[in-house]
Amino acid sequence: MQRLRWLVFVAALLFVWATAVAQEGNYLEWNADGSVTLITFEDEERITIPADQIGTMFGPGQQPFAGKRIAITVNNGGPKGGISGPLYRLRPAWEELTGAELDIVEMPLAEQLPATINDLRLGLNQFDGFIEGAWYMGEYVTPGFIIPIDDYMADPGFPQWDPNWLPPSLREIYMWEGKWYATPNDSDGQVLYWRNDILSNPEWQAAYEAEVGEPMPFPVKTWDDVIAIARFFDGKNWDDNDPDPDSGVVMHFRVNEQGMFHYMTMSAPFVVRGGDTVNRCTNNYWFDPATMEPLINSPGHVRALEKLVELSQYGPDAQVGWDLGTTWDWFLRGKSIFVFSWGDVGSLVQDTTRSQIKGKLGASIVPGSNEVYNMCTNAWETLAEPNVVGNTTGGSWQGVVSARSPNPDVVYSLYALMATEPVSLWNVNRGWTGVDPGWSIHFLPPDGTASLEGYLEAGWNESDLKFYLQAYRDNFFADTMLPYLRINGAEEYWRALDQNLSEAMIGRLAPQEALDRTAVAWDEITNRRGRDDQLKQFQESIGYTP
Amino acid sequence: MTRNSRLKNLFLAPAALWVLAFTVYPLLYSLRLAFYRVNIGQSDVFIGFENFARAFSDGNAINSAVVTLIFVGGGVIIQLSLGILFALLFNRELPFRGLLRTIMTLPLFATPIAVGFLFFTIFYEEGGLINGLLPFKVPWLSDPSWALFSVMLVDIWQWTPFVFLVTLAALQGIPNEYYEAASLETSNAMTQFRFITLPLLQPTIILVLVLRIAEAFKVFDIPFTLTAGGPGASTQVFSMFAYRTSRRFFDFGYGSALAYLLLVAVLIVVLFFFNRIRQTYQ
Repeated sequence: MQRLRWLVFVAALLFVWATAVAQEGNYLEWNADGSVTLITFEDEERITIPADQIGTMFGPGQQPFAGKRIAITVNNGGPKGGISGPLYRLRPAWEELTGAELDIVEMPLAEQLPATINDLRLGLNQFDGFIEGAWYMGEYVTPGFIIPIDDYMADPGFPQWDPNWLPPSLREIYMWEGKWYATPNDSDGQVLYWRNDILSNPEWQAAYEAEVGEPMPFPVKTWDDVIAIARFFDGKNWDDNDPDPDSGVVMHFRVNEQGMFHYMTMSAPFVVRGGDTVNRCTNNYWFDPATMEPLINSPGHVRALEKLVELSQYGPDAQVGWDLGTTWDWFLRGKSIFVFSWGDVGSLVQDTTRSQIKGKLGASIVPGSNEVYNMCTNAWETLAEPNVVGNTTGGSWQGVVSARSPNPDVVYSLYALMATEPVSLWNVNRGWTGVDPGWSIHFLPPDGTASLEGYLEAGWNESDLKFYLQAYRDNFFADTMLPYLRINGAEEYWRALDQNLSEAMIGRLAPQEALDRTAVAWDEITNRRGRDDQLKQFQESIGYTP
Repeated sequence: MTRNSRLKNLFLAPAALWVLAFTVYPLLYSLRLAFYRVNIGQSDVFIGFENFARAFSDGNAINSAVVTLIFVGGGVIIQLSLGILFALLFNRELPFRGLLRTIMTLPLFATPIAVGFLFFTIFYEEGGLINGLLPFKVPWLSDPSWALFSVMLVDIWQWTPFVFLVTLAALQGIPNEYYEAASLETSNAMTQFRFITLPLLQPTIILVLVLRIAEAFKVFDIPFTLTAGGPGASTQVFSMFAYRTSRRFFDFGYGSALAYLLLVAVLIVVLFFFNRIRQTYQ
């Protein structure tokens, strides 16, 4: 009996050992041509990286970072969530490739910046890197909390990605004073989505003309067109998914979340004038670059907020308290004609477990305005063609390396692997990864080098996809872009705006008053953080030369 | 020092160190911060009482204080009234009294963060659990007044059982002989309640009031998850404002001053009621 027990015990030990050995080496295969195939966690999908892209320091039997361990923070989404999901999927393969170990530290969106700043400020140094939102950059760079990555980028030892894939609009948000600080990953920008099956339906177009007295302004060119169409459809049951009336538009204005991004996207064409220079009235939006005077309550901004308040009337009343996910669900359930939001919407529409509108999607760069306010002459300019402004609104979640990390090279090797063409395409094709398209390798020829098959195999509807990619291509390569606010305190400036926007949305403040209060709050923030420092950062961030 | 007292000190040292490290030091450190302008990456600048003065001219701080006072005043009074009413009801013979009492106390054991998220779905305005049953839409979270009421409602739902439990225990501690003796003079239940039950409950009620007021002043989790302080700033309570100032905007000096102002306000209220308890006992 005693002997039998021993045999069972030894057999169990052998089984555990054999399982462990079998697990090792399950996520990486070196091929005869020197390429390497990464096998994703759980899904067991295969991503092959050519020999010239994997980096010269890696190879069969070589694990240059063996025994090292790094911790990376990321928004909490879990193993199948946006932005965090790809880390989980590729962790085993990266660990086999490098020999290092990766701890994924998930944090709520609202907590990531405070938690990491506290960690750095107090010198705890628990984290080696952060998957940050672009607006964190000023908070991290100015106190020297993160390091530039130019040397690593030039090193052929690391996985290879090409900065030239990125349009200038995106490239800027990864850099600070001419140096690269972030490794690209996600590309955020808001585009306009609509129900193409409804708006292109001749019967609805005729009904619109009969009721309004003029043809439906579709495809939309201006925000006034969006408002007119939303007004017509709001309250009608134009979708037969349920017996209830549907909306013209849907937005999210729950405070302290992401409602202010709607305002930024919509207001840009009323405020930002294109041109070759950067000054108060050209390629500018937030502050006077000579004085740091807030421009948020200038007439262009006020007009835009008036339009936004008007547009919001054609959405559900409850949207004042809604967050991003609730708003997306409303659109995916077929309850709204329009939504203007991030690239996630396009890929979520393809997920038929959540979406009832696959194959019914239209998308374009956000519309423009026929009038733009000139902040030098203090006068409105009327244009023959609408002023259309692209945006990089959002986080464009990107990897940065902590200056306190003892293993910055290990951290960069992870980010670089995620930025390689095969891995980035794998992410963008699937969409659920939260990694949205923006680089030339994501777009179809002639704009880019991606293949239609890659997207179709991942489950995309071809019509939806073509609208989607064209919208993003037009957005990121637009002639005029909304400048991104990346200075120290960007979060605080935005929160002041966000709260006053919410007050305007519920009617407690008129648009002018809401923005006047925002301007006062911004001045106070600027003064407290040091006007000279803030001005210098702002000038550098938008490329202004005094 | 004798060997015995050295040994005592040795045993006390870990506890003393714990209190010094995790209570006294943070308190003193945040007190210091309250007198400085603190910007990350820059040296701290001593500014005296400027952070405290700023709170009295800051519209957001004043609004948060008003919201908190409404929340505390409205919520605690309703919790107290309902809790006492339920305790009186459950102090008599009822069918399934044990089961009902258990059900009554369940909200007390739920995590406030989870409760906030739960009610976020219950209050969903487009066909949520409540509005789906009503013939009209109640703007639970999208109207400023309703939103504050919703936050109070959830707090009342969660904390009324606490008042109920403590009051019920106090009621059951009142000797029956008092009522038997009183019944020789009067059979009027209201008179007995007024002259026997209420005076004997008074210390318990004041204690519960103090505990609930102190907790309600510090409320954070329910409004944080349910409304995030909105719409606008209609449900931004003081502790949430202090948290955001410090943790999201890294204005540690002003945030610390706000936290100390809240501490002082709670202390004043607590001392006032403790004084009442002392007078009652005397």
